[in-house]
Amino acid sequence: MEITKFMKKLSSHKGVSDVALIRDNVVKLDLGKEDSKDFFISLKEDYGFEHCSLISAIDNQPQFELVYHFSVIEGSIFIKDSPKTVMIEIHIFLERDTPTIESVSDLWFGANWHEREAYDLMGIYFLGHPDLRRVLLPEGFAGHPLRKDYVYEIHEEEW
Amino acid sequence: MSSKRIGGNPSLRRGLGSKTTDSEKIMEDPPAGDWLALRSDQFLKWIDNAVYNAAEATGMREVVDRVTRPIFNYAQRFSPHPLHFGIMCCAIEMGQASAPDHDIDRLGLVYRSSPRQCDVLIVNGPVCEKLRPKLKTLYEQMPEPKWVVAMGECAISGGPYWDSYSVVAGADTFMPVDVYIPGCPVRPEALMHGFLTLQKKIREKEPGLFLRR
Repeated sequence: MEITKFMKKLSSHKGVSDVALIRDNVVKLDLGKEDSKDFFISLKEDYGFEHCSLISAIDNQPQFELVYHFSVIEGSIFIKDSPKTVMIEIHIFLERDTPTIESVSDLWFGANWHEREAYDLMGIYFLGHPDLRRVLLPEGFAGHPLRKDYVYEIHEEEW
Repeated sequence: MSSKRIGGNPSLRRGLGSKTTDSEKIMEDPPAGDWLALRSDQFLKWIDNAVYNAAEATGMREVVDRVTRPIFNYAQRFSPHPLHFGIMCCAIEMGQASAPDHDIDRLGLVYRSSPRQCDVLIVNGPVCEKLRPKLKTLYEQMPEPKWVVAMGECAISGGPYWDSYSVVAGADTFMPVDVYIPGCPVRPEALMHGFLTLQKKIREKEPGLFLRR
């Protein structure tokens, strides 16, 4: 499948908007929070994105932004009639008072610790995650320190 | 030896194992020839006391200490075995210090991988809250006598992370530190100078090791 055709197919999915090509082999798109799980399942099953590179969380006040990077390594997607490694970059925006999203760690097992890290430092709750504990900070730490409104002096006494 | 001697004093036999106060009293002054009736731990304590008291009373302890102190002290000074434990970039400099350019092995530094075999703990990096109990455990596992070297700004005061949410502000907040080596990161020459300072400190302290209480 040529990459332009792949982008057209992606934009026909529910909840997908702003599909763009930001480099030769990097596709960027925005995704709604409610339709994320169906999209991720079809991304893995239909298009063969086997590799979860990165899940990162950004605090652009007031909402949170999750950025997922997945890649397919010389698989079904072609650039100029030859199979190439293609990376997809998915942006999902979350409201500040409900920072929850469905977990993808049952599809990509490597996403397990990425999600734990995002929970630990940014306070994003992944529903359906098998073991959502802190990964970098000690157990019993109060608050999520990479949020912009985190003040250490408030939480210092708590733990 | 006859069975009569092993049987010994009937009051002593009653005292054994019945009450701790009785056994303590007996251990202080066992009747002559009846030490064979003591339990093994009681026997060790009794003979320890006896040898210590005799050495102290005759002045033998001081004499042996004075003779052997420089030898033991020399051995301690020139074989400070540090724990092979690296936290951050100062650990790279620690590795460089034992490379051929700055051959720190000539000061007797041999890195050991088990804290049971070590004398010196080098804290070479920022100690975060998750590491702090583990580092404390490592320190407690080391046998006496032991020394701690705080290497680099992070171990001295927290360094650039002193205000952070998870970095401890200095290793001396939870363990006694003997030598501070400033630098970010510490150069191998500075590490060598720190260990020479530690040698000076050990020489000044000069503990006697014979029958130490």
